[in-house]
Amino acid sequence: MARKWKIVVAALAIAVVVGLLSFHSLRERVQRLSQAQSAEEQARREVLAPPITTPTDVTVAAKLFWAAAPDQLAPVAIQLPLSADPAQRSKQILHALIASAPTAEQRTLPADAELLGFYVLPDGTAIADFSDALVSEIPSGILSEQMTVDSIVQTLENNVPTLRRLKILIHGQEAETLAGHLDLTGYFELNPPAEQPPAAGTSPSQAAPNPPPAARTAVPPPATSPAAKSVPAPQSTTKP
Amino acid sequence: MLDPAHGGTDPGARGQNGPIEKDVTLQFARVARVELVRQGYRVVLTRDDDSNPSYDDRAAFANSYHDAIFITLHISSTGTPGTARAYFYHFWSPFPPQSKSAAPDADETNPPAPAPAPPLAASGLIPWNEAQRNYADASHRLADQLQIQLAQPFSGSPAMSKAGAIRGLRSVAAPAVAIEISSVADSNAASFTAMATPLAVSISKGIQAFRPANSAGAK
Repeated sequence: MARKWKIVVAALAIAVVVGLLSFHSLRERVQRLSQAQSAEEQARREVLAPPITTPTDVTVAAKLFWAAAPDQLAPVAIQLPLSADPAQRSKQILHALIASAPTAEQRTLPADAELLGFYVLPDGTAIADFSDALVSEIPSGILSEQMTVDSIVQTLENNVPTLRRLKILIHGQEAETLAGHLDLTGYFELNPPAEQPPAAGTSPSQAAPNPPPAARTAVPPPATSPAAKSVPAPQSTTKP
Repeated sequence: MLDPAHGGTDPGARGQNGPIEKDVTLQFARVARVELVRQGYRVVLTRDDDSNPSYDDRAAFANSYHDAIFITLHISSTGTPGTARAYFYHFWSPFPPQSKSAAPDADETNPPAPAPAPPLAASGLIPWNEAQRNYADASHRLADQLQIQLAQPFSGSPAMSKAGAIRGLRSVAAPAVAIEISSVADSNAASFTAMATPLAVSISKGIQAFRPANSAGAK
């Protein structure tokens, strides 16, 4: 009986040792695979979108907003050479936002998304044109779409202070929504003036000095849009 | 007005464990309808089958009722499982038209003051894509009341509602809120079934808390 138990214990001990060794080996292989994929993605991106450099580039600690939790963004400071020109600076920032996410979990824009163009009008309106991958590869849902737009908006306004509002295009066209939920027909407010009316009032996010764009939504397009329809105005006596 | 999001050829978010957003939202809406009817409310669903009305169709349906409340139901594919979020549409003031001298480049330290919102009802009509504007405050209050109720059974949810440019809310001429539950990625059909009643009760309580401050209209 005692001999039988000794054999069982020995077998269990061997199994545990083999399991630990296998687990360690497996973990190393997963890490190597992950690093290889990351390097491959980086190399592909460098070929497709070479870094933008301008004569006025100065290396600064840029604040890029990536996911810190499933429903929360946080700034990450990285050293980037940034142009003095707002359009070029915005391109550099958004390229880094796509390509330099520290981890896959922190990513807020799909890895395959590309910034096709970025323009700044004299009134501070910025127009960002993204590839179809921004729409097709983003997880569906209000939360994920809002995290993506918030990430873009907060990153731009923290690094390009002259921008006033943002229009997002998809492959050169106006899109009704990002991926079925978030309205892209309007403009997203950037760097709102301090005296901007606090329409979202009691929301804790708006109490912050620089409110995160969880409370920022699209400014409507002009009411004279050709597609505009209308509904009767509400009775002020019965509706707020 | 309960709006089960997606439907038909638009499945919405799809989980690895089987749940499809369009089916779960319809299940949620049907359970919530029972609870709200029990409380004496008249309840209409924007769809009660596997159809997929457009955003404008759903808004037009809601706008055909007076004294309505519009709640659109969604399931996310991300987020902490078992949490719920209420969103309202927030319109900022339209971007002020600027003269050349007032452009941001001319004076970065003195941003121009925002222009007042244009009168929407000058012609007696509201532009279709601005129909939600006059209800922004009411929608915010409704979203807050719903979020307070949702935060109890759906632990880990935010304490307050959030503003979001939710396309499905924009043309609704009534207090309108989107509720999104997380998530199809980490939940199976049984867990969603278990969420249906707590969600229905939360919606019912949220509406009851909202109604006295909003309108004296009949249920």
